Amino acid sequence: MKPRASGWIFAAPYLTLFTAFVVGPLVFGFALSLFRWELLSNVKPTFVGFENYAEAFRDPYVHQALGATLRFVWMAVPATILLALVIATGLNAVAGKRQGFWRAAIYVPHLLTVSVAGILWRWFYNKEFGILNALLRPIGIEVPWLSDPAWAMPAIVLMTLWWTLGGPSVVLLSGLQNIPVSYLEAASLDGATPVQRYFRIILPLLRPVLLFVTVMHVIGGFQVFGQVYMITRGGPELSTRSLVQYIYETAFNNYRMGYAAALSWILFAVIAIFTLVQFRLMREERS
Amino acid sequence: MNKKSLRLFSAEVAMGVGSLFFVIPCILLVLAAFKPDSEIVKFQGILPKQWTLANFQEVLGNPEEIPLLRWLLNSVIISISTATLVLTVSSLAAWSMARLRLPGKPLVYGTILATLMVPGQILLVPIYLLLNTLGWLDTPLALIVPAAGGAFGVFMLHQFFLGIPKDLEEAAALDGCSRMSTFINVIVPLSRAPMATLFIFTFVGSWNDFLGPLVFLDSLERYTLPVGIALFQTSYFTEYGLTLAASLLCTLPTFIAFMIFQRQIISGMAASGMKE
Repeated sequence: MKPRASGWIFAAPYLTLFTAFVVGPLVFGFALSLFRWELLSNVKPTFVGFENYAEAFRDPYVHQALGATLRFVWMAVPATILLALVIATGLNAVAGKRQGFWRAAIYVPHLLTVSVAGILWRWFYNKEFGILNALLRPIGIEVPWLSDPAWAMPAIVLMTLWWTLGGPSVVLLSGLQNIPVSYLEAASLDGATPVQRYFRIILPLLRPVLLFVTVMHVIGGFQVFGQVYMITRGGPELSTRSLVQYIYETAFNNYRMGYAAALSWILFAVIAIFTLVQFRLMREERS
Repeated sequence: MNKKSLRLFSAEVAMGVGSLFFVIPCILLVLAAFKPDSEIVKFQGILPKQWTLANFQEVLGNPEEIPLLRWLLNSVIISISTATLVLTVSSLAAWSMARLRLPGKPLVYGTILATLMVPGQILLVPIYLLLNTLGWLDTPLALIVPAAGGAFGVFMLHQFFLGIPKDLEEAAALDGCSRMSTFINVIVPLSRAPMATLFIFTFVGSWNDFLGPLVFLDSLERYTLPVGIALFQTSYFTEYGLTLAASLLCTLPTFIAFMIFQRQIISGMAASGMKE
């Protein structure tokens, strides 16, 4: 086929937007992180080199936010993967039309937008009149869900599991369904028990999907913001304030744009390190 | 009962019990919206003792302070425009990357792919300053236009276009079709499924976006539903009945859409996770 019109014409609208709203802001954002750039003050933006990054390493609030974010990832991601695997296995065992019904039932919470889901669970968690304590009180328990730093993050994680499990369950279910039936039949003929089939054949074949879902959830977990903002606003005692919330507050409450830009590059670096480690682990396991 | 149907039965019972965790909170939301405030702030059982529509009347009857329908309209406009724009520019670019002559293509496509790894938050501050300069803050453009620079759509459609046999385009070219008419009359009809998936994905993403509207929008009547509802909680946090009724109302359109497009949404979700 003879090339007639150049491909540039077709690509031009996208490439313009890509340059203006992705590449440009990336470069500009990095430059910004090297400046003291305060939006509402009279101080002119001044070049400070890596001073914003140095400040971030000293900033106790950064340590706290990073700690809260890591705790969220550590509590939410393994539970998500494990429970999604259990749910997908259960769904896979249910035949035909009713599978679609249960799948939809598990997916329904994800239809709630984050502010609605947050409002709902804040009400559940209310110490005085929330349904959780109303149900626990008859057996003599009252949990300070959102007012105790020890309980607040687990409460956020529980709500997150409820809200997001539908997604990975559906992905893992379709992974299970892609496993050729002939493999399982062959194993049965060789006398493998259902448990052996599950751990020796199904799980190893599911590994690529499983690892992909894990990586995506680690990345997503580091970016947690909406549910924390809605349920605790980062409290109590900043115990649930995530890195993204700290970036948000630095930029849009304190208008310290340069510092916020530096913090977001640090977040990117943290995510990149964890992603690379996971890919490395994947490759080592494969070989 | 033989062994197989026993397993099927127990799996179904397990799913039934397990799905209660997901469904019950949603049912509680629906029921609470019909409760008077006195029953919400003091737990008196799961069912309303006294069913009332007062919450809905108050939420819908006060469009000055609670422009719920306005927020709904804003959300619809922004999500449809974003999805349409993303689909248009991404499909043209993806086709160009997959098929047309484009000097420096590996470098360009490589750069696009590389940005897939970049978390959105890193762009938040610079895009805010850029929108501020453009004067787009507090307008729908702030949410629609930057989204179209995203790489996901190009990546996804590029993969699909590579799989379309070249003979089809060559036949169309021999018949005298221009590049554009080949694209519109041959490629687009073949790509309905992935294009629909991309549209739904972008729509849902835009509909649920929270951080974007929170940062880029500023006035009550410009808000989208998620941010409007969030603000609602700050201003009416003692009036749970109102907040929950508003929450229920704003979930209804999503729920109806899900009922209609359930298969596309879920299979799109599954497909996006399967791709590596």
